[in-house]
Amino acid sequence: MLELSQMNSYYGASHVLRDIDLSVRSGEIVSILGRNGVGKTTLLKSILGLDVRIRGAITLDGEDITARPTYLRARAGIGYVPQGRELIPDFSVRDNILMGCYARTDRRRLVPDLVRDMFPYLRDNLGRRAGLLSGGQQQQLAIARALASEPRILLLDEPTEGIQPNIVEQIEDTIQRLNKQVGLTIVLVEQNVKFARAASQHFCIIERGAIAASGVIDALTDDIVRRHMTV
Amino acid sequence: MADVFFIGLSLSSILLLVALGLAITYGTMGVINMAHGELVMIGAYVTVLCQTHFGLHFLLCIPVAFVVTGAVGYAIERFVVRRLYGRLLDTLLATWALAIIIQQAIRLEFGAAFAGLHIDGLGPGLQNVPIPSFFRETFLVGDFVVQPYRTFIIVLTIGLFILTWWLIFHTSFGMQLRAVSRNRGIASCCGIDDKRINAWTFAYGSALAGAAGVMLAGFKTVSPSMGTPFVIDGFLVVVMGGVGSLFGTLGSAVILGEVQGWVASLLNDVLARAIVFGVIIVVIIIRPQGLFSRRGR
Ligand SMILES: Nc1ncnc2c1ncn2[C@@H]1O[C@H](COP(=O)(O)OP(=O)(O)OP(=O)(O)O)[C@@H](O)[C@H]1O
Ligand SMILES: [Mg+2]
Repeated sequence: MLELSQMNSYYGASHVLRDIDLSVRSGEIVSILGRNGVGKTTLLKSILGLDVRIRGAITLDGEDITARPTYLRARAGIGYVPQGRELIPDFSVRDNILMGCYARTDRRRLVPDLVRDMFPYLRDNLGRRAGLLSGGQQQQLAIARALASEPRILLLDEPTEGIQPNIVEQIEDTIQRLNKQVGLTIVLVEQNVKFARAASQHFCIIERGAIAASGVIDALTDDIVRRHMTV
Repeated sequence: MADVFFIGLSLSSILLLVALGLAITYGTMGVINMAHGELVMIGAYVTVLCQTHFGLHFLLCIPVAFVVTGAVGYAIERFVVRRLYGRLLDTLLATWALAIIIQQAIRLEFGAAFAGLHIDGLGPGLQNVPIPSFFRETFLVGDFVVQPYRTFIIVLTIGLFILTWWLIFHTSFGMQLRAVSRNRGIASCCGIDDKRINAWTFAYGSALAGAAGVMLAGFKTVSPSMGTPFVIDGFLVVVMGGVGSLFGTLGSAVILGEVQGWVASLLNDVLARAIVFGVIIVVIIIRPQGLFSRRGR
């Protein structure tokens, strides 16, 4: 479904990702793992064409999207839940969700039923300012915003980072439901190996800007984790 | 008393229209357009040309100028500003150069002067725009002398302010504009075509300047350099009101227009300008984030 081949990413002159090959199949979850600062976020930004310059090719369902601007990649069906959520704090919950609708193919602006079902808190507090929500609620809102565009593939960047431990499970549950029940393809950047093992079918470990290991999730042995992820 | 207040308000109106355009382009794109004053001037010349060549009624010149300057602004964004995003100094220089080019184009009558031709209404000289007679006849309401033209300027400005507010807070375009100005990256990840929003924002800001130019033409002589002071004045209004605050821009335009009006009527115009700048300096020292802004930027 999503294919990166020999992708290199640059911020200005600094070369952050080298020769990345990654293939994401429809309906699966792929976990991107790695220590801090190795380039996981950059990988997602490269897929969206955000801030980075890339060489190489990105195809979505066989279509080459490498040269497209970010907004067209979003409209092509890539949903993004950024690290740190990046909501607009003085927009209401509703407006944050409606923002996502500009990437819908039908261009309608509404709070989708899926969002109402999955996030009852958001449904009941559409008028609240996003900045007033708790960390977990904000994460839900960031996911809701991405869902509002009815994406075919969802890029999630450390969705449980900085969230209270008792809410983490809820977010993880949401991610699995989106994959299993809704059928969304997901690229998940994670620090939590346990959850990555439980949720995903494939993994990919990045080290210093290059892929150090990848494969089916059963191949993610403790040894590999120790070698590439412990600090 | 009341009529001085009124004259002040009409000055505020012009300032407000100029500043609003600067405020929304600066707020959304982080770009300062040094040719913004020239858009005011173009608005004024559109009035001159439409009246001398097509005999267009003064009131009809307003929508015409609005569209023409909007189109010019759109072109400036497309061909100059867009190529310089993220390079504030380069943008300042390029638009400043553009300001000079536009002024010279008017002086040289778009090149016709080289061929020895003359287009009425252009050239280096001064132009005057006659306003309709019903705008000139003052009348009394009680003790109060109503100046119809000044009143008209104020009312139209209020209308355009409301239009701007509605556009920004109650339309889909406005929502995209606000999203882009808050977080351009995320806005584009949400499918918003941020470059298109930039171009239309720039066009709208320019159109407001053009409308200001028409109204200005009704009480000031029109000349190629008439727009120059407006970039500075407009930008000072924005800074004093607080960047990113529509109502801040409104408030500070009213204050500065009134100060100008009062001092000019009690003393003189030159001193009025000096005092206006003094007020701005004091405000910026005491409240660097602007009068009406809650947070700094
Ligand atoms: N906008 C930027 N401009 C220049 N360099 C950047 C930029 N963003 C990130 N980098 C650099 O690129 C490298 C990879 O950063 P990235 O954010 O992709 O890492 P990460 O794996 O997501 O880290 P974390 O686990 O902390 O989120 C880092 O060395 C970082 O300093
Ligand atoms: Mg990261």
